[in-house]
Amino acid sequence: MSGAGFESLKALIVEDNAHMRSLLRALLNSIGIKEIAEAAHGQAAIDSLRERKSDLVLSDMAMKPMDGLEFTRHVRNHEHSPNPFVPIIMITGHTEKHRVEQARDAGVTEFLAKPITAHNLFARIAEIVERPRAFVRCDSYFGPDRRRRMIDDYAGPWRRKEDFQDMDVR
Amino acid sequence: MTKQAPAEAQFIEPDAYPQMMSQQAAAGAMKVLRSAQTALKAQVAIEAHVPPMRAAILQYVEELEEASSDMRSVFEKVHEIRGFAETAGLVTTGRIADILCRYMDDMYRIGKPMDTMIVKLHVSAIARAARAEDDDVKMGEVVAAELAALVARRLTDAERP
Repeated sequence: MSGAGFESLKALIVEDNAHMRSLLRALLNSIGIKEIAEAAHGQAAIDSLRERKSDLVLSDMAMKPMDGLEFTRHVRNHEHSPNPFVPIIMITGHTEKHRVEQARDAGVTEFLAKPITAHNLFARIAEIVERPRAFVRCDSYFGPDRRRRMIDDYAGPWRRKEDFQDMDVR
Repeated sequence: MTKQAPAEAQFIEPDAYPQMMSQQAAAGAMKVLRSAQTALKAQVAIEAHVPPMRAAILQYVEELEEASSDMRSVFEKVHEIRGFAETAGLVTTGRIADILCRYMDDMYRIGKPMDTMIVKLHVSAIARAARAEDDDVKMGEVVAAELAALVARRLTDAERP
């Protein structure tokens, strides 16, 4: 089977572990992505994005000198960012709730916990292909809409203008 | 119902910004992602990476043992080991590393000092599991279960006011 939609894509892998970079490259190759750049940390990834277009980014979280969170914030918010909308899948062994929230608030598109499996990686890519998300821009955030689904009996705080359309708002 | 309206947020729908691929290409891409041939290729790719990853895990284990009194270094190394031990086929090693990661993360979160004995027990168990032959896996699982119970008790004690 041909790679169809994937064959023309360019990907960027941002990961300080050479074995993990190699594995991710091999998994992307297996779906037909051949043009893959690699960077060992966030700053090198920014340089790579400036030099070469990327359609998909897979990024580790814990790296030095620039980690995956700072890299993501730069991609989303920097005035000279070559593509603030590029899908970013954050792949990390740091899976605690506050880490996931940090990644979400930095503007990642998908979060993938290590150890990775082909099934889980492909599921995240499928999510990006099948259900691209709206982006939100407000004073404190720019990135994919952090709301994954609507809940009819939601009891949490109301934060968005659209939430108030059917209410008496003052 | 009266609520304070929040500052206005701008929504940018998917058709208003450049997508990774066209809808037509997306249909083909989904077929690739769901095909048995892709799954087989991916499996072969992962299996080819097992030997070098196992060697890397053993290197990390050595560094972990050397760093056993430097908690920051242990924290970083053990997260690396948790990250790909299972991919390298070292399931028990990954499981024990996961218990230590959770312990260290929780102690950082609640602002209490690490119990060095707990850390050393885990480092020792990780090293033994990583170096063990396959027939030692059952023993590793028993050790992992005991360490998990020990950590649960210590975290309960640490979280008491």
